[in-house]
Amino acid sequence: MPRLMDMGLEKLRNMVLDMAELSQNTVSTSIDAYVQGRDLRDRIYSWSEELRMLQDEVSELAVELIARYQPVASDLRFIKSCMEVAYGFSRFGRYAHDISDVIGIFGDLSSCDRQSVKEAGSQAKDMIRLSIKAFTERDVELAGRLKKMDDVVDNIYLDFVKKSAHEREGNLKCVVSGTLILRYLERIADHATYVGETVPYIVSGERSARK
Amino acid sequence: MTLHLQTEEKQPLSREEILHPHRTLENSKVRTEDFDAWYGNNQVLKKLNIEVREHSVTAIIGPSGCGKSTLIRCLNRMHELVSRARTSGRVMLDGSDIYAKGVDPVTIRRRVGMVFQKPNPFPTMSVYDNVAAGLRLNGERNHSVLDRAVQQSLELAFLWDEVKGDLDKSGASLSGGQQQRLCIARALAVEPEVILMDEPCSALDPIATAKIEELIASIKGNYTVVIVTHNMQQAARVSDFTAFLYLGQLIEYGETTSLFENPVEELTERYLTGKFG
Repeated sequence: MPRLMDMGLEKLRNMVLDMAELSQNTVSTSIDAYVQGRDLRDRIYSWSEELRMLQDEVSELAVELIARYQPVASDLRFIKSCMEVAYGFSRFGRYAHDISDVIGIFGDLSSCDRQSVKEAGSQAKDMIRLSIKAFTERDVELAGRLKKMDDVVDNIYLDFVKKSAHEREGNLKCVVSGTLILRYLERIADHATYVGETVPYIVSGERSARK
Repeated sequence: MTLHLQTEEKQPLSREEILHPHRTLENSKVRTEDFDAWYGNNQVLKKLNIEVREHSVTAIIGPSGCGKSTLIRCLNRMHELVSRARTSGRVMLDGSDIYAKGVDPVTIRRRVGMVFQKPNPFPTMSVYDNVAAGLRLNGERNHSVLDRAVQQSLELAFLWDEVKGDLDKSGASLSGGQQQRLCIARALAVEPEVILMDEPCSALDPIATAKIEELIASIKGNYTVVIVTHNMQQAARVSDFTAFLYLGQLIEYGETTSLFENPVEELTERYLTGKFG
């Protein structure tokens, strides 16, 4: 027999999955727009706002479920994780918006070497896809892969910054825009890792120490 | 940025440590050792090993018939008052077996008080006499000592302000919540070390329940409280440790926060989340 709370938990899950899809599209579109030199700020801004509103709705439903049903054990862990994951998805939207803003601020960046951004962007997109899959399927093993992938993005960002710091000759516009975008991608990768960290917590209550 | 900081790897807890964290506790006040209890041929507690920490609140939860009430009735030797009831194993109070030969059960019940599900003030006695009854039974006759003890106990039970002008009124004339606090004051008056509470709020409204819960929180610094409750939210609110019993066996025991957020046993998880049976 379904419990009264089950309907609310299902609704919460669906809202988070809606956010997952939208946040994945938002980040993907912003990275592709940068690579293609297209200014899609308005569209990405509206999606990121939608994600922010959806995050509020997730929080409200989560609080309502806690207030009405006093969930415990795996129910409580799932609700708590949905709030964390929804925050992560909302941050994806915010960073995607920041990436799209770079084009607005710096204009044409077609002369810049965009290889690092392409690599980090591709890795970040994979991480988002993987984190959503791990969360949806409660796949602890899959979620465990995210930390190593995060290291890859961190290293691309650090290498770019170090290289830029030692370069005397260089296009300032390319250096600053590249640094900003890689920084946003590095944060997106962090949040994808955090989404993954909720999986073992939901499944068994295991909390991994955050670096 | 998550790049350079090293984190110290903690040694994971063993399954035994997770399931029985109480074994690592210091200051245990009450401890059962391979304890069994029967009503006639019906065994209601099976090889129970549980440790109650001093100056803490321990909640006993579990479905009806799991042995919760029997367990606490064994902790002050009230179980044996039922005909054909018997026990085996030991219950250690401050390291001494309360079931050892020659131990006077009345002395044990003085040290380990009990508050019942239904408020049961002595109906023919006044509020004052209800609280003073235990002390008088112990031979106390000094009026000023009795006055002081009655006031102190009623204050501890958060009842003094409500009844100080009506100490001569019958205890039975109080509201249900007040009667239950009167019973707690009566139990506190003889200065027990442990207070057992068997569903103390099940007959009370939410306001009266909240007062009892606040009372429990306020006395635990000086007493050891064991509470049986069907209300899991109440267990989560008031207790420091929670034990989950099922069919007379201890399934899981641990810190309340941890047990309610992350139970180790599947059976506990199912019971807590209402996916039971």
